[in-house]
Amino acid sequence: MERRDFFKKALTVAGSAAVGSTTVGAAQTVHPVDNRKVSDIAFPQKRPLITYSDRPPLLETPREVFTSALTPNDLFFVRWHMPVIPTYINLNTFFIHINGEVEKEIKVSLKTLKTEFEAVELTAVLQCGGNNRTAFQPTAGGIQWGVGAMGCAKWKGARLKDVLQKAGLKKEAAWIGFNGEEKAVYAETANFVRELKLEEMHDDIIIAYEMNGEDLPYLNGYPIRLILPGFYSDSWIKMLCNITVTKERQKLHFMDHAYRIPDNDCECETPDSLAQKTKPIEEMNVNSLIGYPITSTKVKKDADLVVRGVAFDGGHGIAKVEISTDDGASWTKAVLDDGKEGKYAYRAFTYSFKPQSYGQQNILCRASNKKGEVQPFAKDIQWNRGGYKYNGIDEVKVEVV
Amino acid sequence: MKKLLFILVLINVTLFSQSNTGITMPYVDFPMKEGKGMYSTKGKCNMCHSWGYTVNQGLQSKKFWREKVMKMIVVFKAPIKTQKDIDTVVDYLFENYGNGKLE
Repeated sequence: MERRDFFKKALTVAGSAAVGSTTVGAAQTVHPVDNRKVSDIAFPQKRPLITYSDRPPLLETPREVFTSALTPNDLFFVRWHMPVIPTYINLNTFFIHINGEVEKEIKVSLKTLKTEFEAVELTAVLQCGGNNRTAFQPTAGGIQWGVGAMGCAKWKGARLKDVLQKAGLKKEAAWIGFNGEEKAVYAETANFVRELKLEEMHDDIIIAYEMNGEDLPYLNGYPIRLILPGFYSDSWIKMLCNITVTKERQKLHFMDHAYRIPDNDCECETPDSLAQKTKPIEEMNVNSLIGYPITSTKVKKDADLVVRGVAFDGGHGIAKVEISTDDGASWTKAVLDDGKEGKYAYRAFTYSFKPQSYGQQNILCRASNKKGEVQPFAKDIQWNRGGYKYNGIDEVKVEVV
Repeated sequence: MKKLLFILVLINVTLFSQSNTGITMPYVDFPMKEGKGMYSTKGKCNMCHSWGYTVNQGLQSKKFWREKVMKMIVVFKAPIKTQKDIDTVVDYLFENYGNGKLE
């Protein structure tokens, strides 16, 4: 009921997500934009989401959804790079073509993938490297995401390693390139291809054909997508249809120029002095988000308020989530769920308290992982041109009445 | 009775089996700000992608918009052929979606 009310209330004119600009002089990171409403147009197999573009579809999940370890498929965010996406996949003619430095080129159907390889199930967070990009000032390049370019699902599929083994890797094989069915309008435009170093391969990288126990929604990559647990989503290729193994790293725009951060200790730079050397964003840093309450929620004084949210990192595991109700002066541990979804999944957390005084009440949450990384305050996060990897302490402001 | 049962089973199958019938994508309107060069920009940018993809980059500098347009031409092969056309698009973007800064 609560959720339905929210969606009813949040309806707004399509296309009005647009442009939240906060350009000021000094480079200081702020909290990401958090008040955008879902569109009144639902995309196929989806409930209405915050809509940045329809071609390609770019859809963000509203904050309210992040109160449990799994994100429902129809609320899961969507991000494509190319505007032409198949609206029908014929499973009789759909194959993953595997070629390049392999003993024999093969093509694998969905049926083969499901029947001839051991099925693996794992729960993993899928997060855009540019999630929370609106936190960065001056405005960083790229889609101005709020807090919801992420989700967590239970994925089922075959190990990439097993599938490649069927084709047999030649000993010179060093890089694996992936691309899906998405296309540009012009044939001359290069495909969206991502690469993985063969030495980075591990058993948890899978080609998934199930998401939360169902077929993947088309907009999340039906019928299959690559799952790279712990890594940002830039290489989780959707509608995966081709794998090319090479000796050398290919020259690719999306590898050489996109999804890169300064290759220095702070992973930071300034607009006037951009870092010369960059590296891929790859492993996710520790992060957390409050799903309930949201800013502007009215709550009763002296009544139980149960704060709910999620925390995650790149696979080291969440050590604790802490809540502050005094703007960061003191912190108290939240209760974490049992963690049975595994180290790549959201840990859902809860924290109960009774607001003591009328007026505005800020609620902050910060996560620490088992590697000892702790989320910094938003203002302490330093800038990078792509607006990647924001993980500032989250904050919502409620009104106690 | 048997017939009814059969129909019920059939309905059940239709309701609960996952069928792959493809999708139909909606069109979402992202209105462009009226201004000099709007129609030219519309033709050159929107033939490949939604205007939402453009405006949701946020308000940006003239340098940013120029680099984006050049990326569209060089990397994505957008058919924007003349310097005049490039300038028209960059000027429209900066006038209407600029942050007031040249760089």
